Amino acid sequence: MTVNEFVKKILFIEILKGLALTFKHMVTPAITRQYPAERREPVPGSRGLHALVRNPLTGKEKCVGCGLCAAMCPSQCIHIYTSEGDDHKKVVDRYEIEVLRCVFCALCVEACPYGAVALTEHFEYSGYTREEFYYTKERLLENWDKYMAGAKGEEYFEKFWRPKSVDFATAAQAVQAKERAGQ
Amino acid sequence: MKNNSEDLDNPEHERLSTKELTLNLGPQHPATHGVLRLVLDLEGETVVKCTPYIGYLHRGVEKLAEHRNYLQILPLTDRLDYISSMSNNIGYCVALEKLFAIEVPERTQFIRTIVAEMSRIANHLLWLATHALDIGAMTVFLYCFREREKIMDLFERLCGARLTVSYPRIGGLKNDVDPQWLEDLYKFTDEFPMRVEQYETLIDKNRIWLRRTKGVGIISAEDAINWGMSGPALRGSGVPYDVRKAMPYGAYDKVKWEVPTGKNGDVYDRYRVRMEEFRQSNSIIRQCMEKLPEGPIMADAPKFTLPAKDKVLSDMEHLIHHFILITKGPQTAPEGEIYVATEVPKGELGFYFISDGTGRPYRMRIRAPSFVHVATLPKLCEGELIADVIANIGSIDIVLGECDR
Repeated sequence: MTVNEFVKKILFIEILKGLALTFKHMVTPAITRQYPAERREPVPGSRGLHALVRNPLTGKEKCVGCGLCAAMCPSQCIHIYTSEGDDHKKVVDRYEIEVLRCVFCALCVEACPYGAVALTEHFEYSGYTREEFYYTKERLLENWDKYMAGAKGEEYFEKFWRPKSVDFATAAQAVQAKERAGQ
Repeated sequence: MKNNSEDLDNPEHERLSTKELTLNLGPQHPATHGVLRLVLDLEGETVVKCTPYIGYLHRGVEKLAEHRNYLQILPLTDRLDYISSMSNNIGYCVALEKLFAIEVPERTQFIRTIVAEMSRIANHLLWLATHALDIGAMTVFLYCFREREKIMDLFERLCGARLTVSYPRIGGLKNDVDPQWLEDLYKFTDEFPMRVEQYETLIDKNRIWLRRTKGVGIISAEDAINWGMSGPALRGSGVPYDVRKAMPYGAYDKVKWEVPTGKNGDVYDRYRVRMEEFRQSNSIIRQCMEKLPEGPIMADAPKFTLPAKDKVLSDMEHLIHHFILITKGPQTAPEGEIYVATEVPKGELGFYFISDGTGRPYRMRIRAPSFVHVATLPKLCEGELIADVIANIGSIDIVLGECDR
């Protein structure tokens, strides 16, 4: 041990340096958030509670009941029951998501060819019974009205509905225009 | 109890006083990093025998994978090593791309390298935080989580989830990065080396830290190789083996970086290796961001990757591919076996697939670094003090989600 090292050791230099750093942090502003009082802005596209998209033209769900989301779901928490309606059209009777089983991977959003299911930014929900987490079609449509209504919902699919091609925006608009013309 | 000379001469007393003590550590012990259970046979304070018991977090990921198609397995890999799920996702995708012979675009390679290194930093931050907390340095814990939070926020902005990211896809990525995100990441990398220096100020030369880590849990280079160790735990013993250098994937062969190694193979050297990896990862991210090429992010492989949404709605073939891929998985998967290893923060993560040509793997086997490292615990702990067991568990950086699968 050299003299230099010995002096450093008996004077507790390395510990004093560490203490200086912690004391410096005492006067810097705090980075912690006082959670229930102070809330963070939700990040756009954050994967939270599910919603079924309400078609603004018909006022009903956009879902056509193809069942791709249920097929893609790795935890198999989506249940769809369909029947034959007027003019032999497929009618979605029940569309149910067991939220407690969901892993929030958003593969259902990716699988849906119509952009009919979405994950909202809402993540703070709780309940006392399992039934409260069994979201029926009506409740899922309500979620859409609550958290994604208006411009936010329209923006959602433009931004987070993937994968997309390079000219996605123009192509999607063309498809939408065709849909409107059909209606 | 009577305490007289008559009792001390009793042969029964002698037998009792020399008995070894068996101590059960875990599975709910906070310092065992999950649900690791160790049964320690103690003689005084010295560990005579250490037996790890694993399996408390077994979820049967490998079996579950056999019942899901290749696209659905991705969220399962998030839950192996949940501290750095991005690396697991990338390991899974890289393995399957090799099996399917998919050419991945260059931009994707660079973005994957960036996010993999971000997850390495996030993992090492959590490791440093908990390792220091185990040994008794509380302040480092708080500082590390401050930086980890920033990376988690960046992940959330990138893909919508903080921990279970599911960001890469077979043949590409979920989405492209936006310029604002890159700018914020650049700011983070600017600031981060200064933060690493701060952690080092706190513990690098601290005499308590040195006494607790130097000369503890020594494993020689030869032993480390024989026990199958990998990652920083192996490099701490002085073996410069890194999968990123040995079998480059992503953009690792296109950037300049070094493999930090230790010398003595003790807890302190493994700590030093990881601290150096902070700096190397930071520099890799910087270089990748500077070199980030333009271009598509999805490979042109319609039989394996989901088609673009607008094409699904306007094109017959794409619609068919979309339905087949989701309901049955890739139907043209080649038959055969493949093992592909990637370097995750904890070591070498290997995915071994047996494909029988259907959309599902016939068998998926995961070579998890934590599993191998848990097996080395008896080697590291036996003959040392009981307090060193905690330091050893911290230094090999295990996560039981990956170990038990």
